[in-house]
Amino acid sequence: MSADWLSGKAAIVGIGQTAFGKRGEFSERGTYSLVLEAIQKACDDAGISPKQIDGWSSYSNDPNQGAMLSAMMGCDRLRFTAMGWGGGGGAMGGAFMYAAMAVATGQADYVCIVRGATMPGNARFGGMGRPGDGPPHGMISPGNSFALAARRHMSRFGTTTEHFGEIAINARRNAANNPNARFRDEITMEDHHASQLICDPLRKMDFCMESDFGTAIIVTSKERAKDSKNEPVSLVSMAMGGPPRWGDAWFGQAASDPSGMGSAVGGHMCDDDDYVTGGYRTLAQDLYDKSGLGPNDVDVALLYDHFTPMVIMAIEDFQFCEKGEGGPFVAEGNIRREGKIPVNTHGGNLAEVYAHGMTHVMEGVRQLRGDSPNQLDNPQIAVIAAGASMAPTGAIMLGKM
Amino acid sequence: MSERMPGTGGPALNRLVTPFYEAAGRGLLVIQQCDDCGYHRHVPTDICYNCLSWKWHWDESLPQTGTVYSYSWVDRPMNEHINDGKVYNFAVVELDGITGNAVRLLTNVYDVEKDSLYVGLRVKAAFDPVAGKYASPGGYGPAGADIAATDVGPIALVVFEPLEGAAA
Ligand SMILES: [Zn+2]
Repeated sequence: MSADWLSGKAAIVGIGQTAFGKRGEFSERGTYSLVLEAIQKACDDAGISPKQIDGWSSYSNDPNQGAMLSAMMGCDRLRFTAMGWGGGGGAMGGAFMYAAMAVATGQADYVCIVRGATMPGNARFGGMGRPGDGPPHGMISPGNSFALAARRHMSRFGTTTEHFGEIAINARRNAANNPNARFRDEITMEDHHASQLICDPLRKMDFCMESDFGTAIIVTSKERAKDSKNEPVSLVSMAMGGPPRWGDAWFGQAASDPSGMGSAVGGHMCDDDDYVTGGYRTLAQDLYDKSGLGPNDVDVALLYDHFTPMVIMAIEDFQFCEKGEGGPFVAEGNIRREGKIPVNTHGGNLAEVYAHGMTHVMEGVRQLRGDSPNQLDNPQIAVIAAGASMAPTGAIMLGKM
Repeated sequence: MSERMPGTGGPALNRLVTPFYEAAGRGLLVIQQCDDCGYHRHVPTDICYNCLSWKWHWDESLPQTGTVYSYSWVDRPMNEHINDGKVYNFAVVELDGITGNAVRLLTNVYDVEKDSLYVGLRVKAAFDPVAGKYASPGGYGPAGADIAATDVGPIALVVFEPLEGAAA
């Protein structure tokens, strides 16, 4: 199978992050300050000056605009900006695709993907209106929507809350070795089951925790990457999109709601088989087709884990096991770092930080460079799932240069 | 705002969705149907996703029944106003009598307990009046909040109850 034109033509050369805080911890500082720090660190990692950044890309209405960052740092040129539609972390796949296309076609030399947030007061990422003023049926939070997907998966395939618990246990187990992680205490199945039931079948330990953070990743062309200070990592392939009539399959995200019904076009009419996915089915296949590789070539999977059941569905979408067998697959230890396909070796959204997917990409870079807190044995290929969320969800495949 | 589950806020209203809630106010579940190909669709939009026709009507002849597709119980409402802080469910119900791809509603199932709500439960439409003189919060989406509160008749939310004898 031949890879697509863009495959391998761009690379990640720098990653940067601030300290990770609890929700609202850095609100006085503000998101621009957080992102500026992350950009400087990413540029230090790449061995370039921030002034060389001439392109910017982000997703999900990130408040940190490239043009403002460019002006703040006195960048030499501003040549390219891009913003991906969508809510949640799904459009992150697109943000990397825009960056790769820009540097591969000479529209920009260095594109910085930025994402930063503070969550003061009652702010909630992906929230559906003010508390007490939500959609009329009482489905108000992202957790509510994903509970519906989880319940349907349980009903169709016999998936259990023990399977969800394994996702949370694995995340904490990996975070225990990650000095930057917010939640480093290991947990047991008993701890998981004892945590507060929030929206049945989801418990508190099935939820990631809102976080404050700044992140930045520098992308450049394959040719320029050869001059970078640290080992560059190839963008092997990227995909974005969603299954037919997916839209906002989770019935949520009032901000994207074209009807006013507090529940957008999508889940009302998508295929039954797609409802019990993370929305990755079509684009996971795209990712493999574009790379000429398949699931057996993947050494580490960094799968968006805002809610534990969505990791199980992502494992199925990315074909690490058969559809419907994700629960037993994780229960058998296959996603542990000693297992068949290690998942979220940094601790993920659940235990490291909820940075809307950026830290999953960073962990992919670290694994391929060989400096992960849970370093695997010489991995060659990492896959990152962006989302699950309303469409477009996304996927990124990284490889050693 | 609803009479049976207070504290959740009422629906946003605009030219596309208001008739759905007004029909519910008269005790009828209606769904948009394409004049040209007959496909049903929800949530309401201007254009048919199957044949791209702009001609449509509200189908008032649906059987008013469906099957629970998924659900969740909220044991800890986000604040004490929602359902007076007490446990409640929300659910997805797949409707009977639909032409084209499945149509599902985001809704609630009333008159069930935790052990009698399950995926596959057969249910019938019921209607939960939105209390008082209703004013749309407005400002949502391209359809616009173009109907003033005074133009809206009695409205209700479409909810569901178990079909007779269907309880587990
Ligand atoms: Zn039609």
